[in-house]
Amino acid sequence: MTNRLRMLRAERSWSQADLADRLGVSRQSINAIETGRFDPSLPLAFKLAKLFHLSIESIFSE
Amino acid sequence: MLLCNKNLTPLQRRSIQRMGAALLLTVVTNLSTLNLHNPFRDLFPGLSQLTPSYVQSSVFLVGLISALSVLPVLLAVWVAARYLAAEPDEFIRALVVQALLWGFAVTMAGNAIAGVLMNIYSSPFPLTLLNADLFFASGLIAFRILQRSYR
Repeated sequence: MTNRLRMLRAERSWSQADLADRLGVSRQSINAIETGRFDPSLPLAFKLAKLFHLSIESIFSE
Repeated sequence: MLLCNKNLTPLQRRSIQRMGAALLLTVVTNLSTLNLHNPFRDLFPGLSQLTPSYVQSSVFLVGLISALSVLPVLLAVWVAARYLAAEPDEFIRALVVQALLWGFAVTMAGNAIAGVLMNIYSSPFPLTLLNADLFFASGLIAFRILQRSYR
C-alpha cells in the first residue's frame, strides 16, 4: 500500500513530530507509515483523513 | 543508556520500572532454590549460610518456595499485558509484540543450548531458572533496536 502522507505533510510544513503530536502517536509511527513499513489501522486512517480534510482513498492507495 | 530514554512516555517508563522490579524479584527468588548451582552464591558465599537447614527437610516449604518462584514471572507477564492494553499507539504495540517474539526466540535458543550443555556435563544449569529474565530482557533490548530502525 502506498500513501501521500509525506507530500501532504510537506505541503503544510509539518515535521513528523508535529503530525505525530496532532494524531497522538509516536514519531516513529509516522516514519513507518510514510515509508510503507507499517499500514495504519482504520481508526488511525480516519484520523489522518479528518486531519487533512481528505478521504482515506485519496491518501492511501494500493 | 540503551533502556533509559528521556523520550519514553510516562506509561512506558512506569512499565519498564515495574518490569525491572519483577525481573529483580525473579533473581531474588532464584536465591531460594537450594540445590542448584547459583552464581550469586559464588559471588557472595555468605548467602549459603542464610538458608536455614530445616528448609531442606520440609516438603511444605520446598513447595512454597517453588510456588514463590512463579510469582515474579506472573508479575512480569501482568506488566507486559497491562502495558499492551494501555498503550494508545498501535505501531508501538506492534513493535512490542515483535520484540516479545524476539525475546521468545532468544529464550528458546538459550534453552536449547542449556539443554545440550546439561546433557554433556550432566549438571543442572541455572539458565532454566532465569528464563523469565532472559525473555523480558532480550525483549526489551529487541524493542529498543526495532525502535531505532524507524528513526
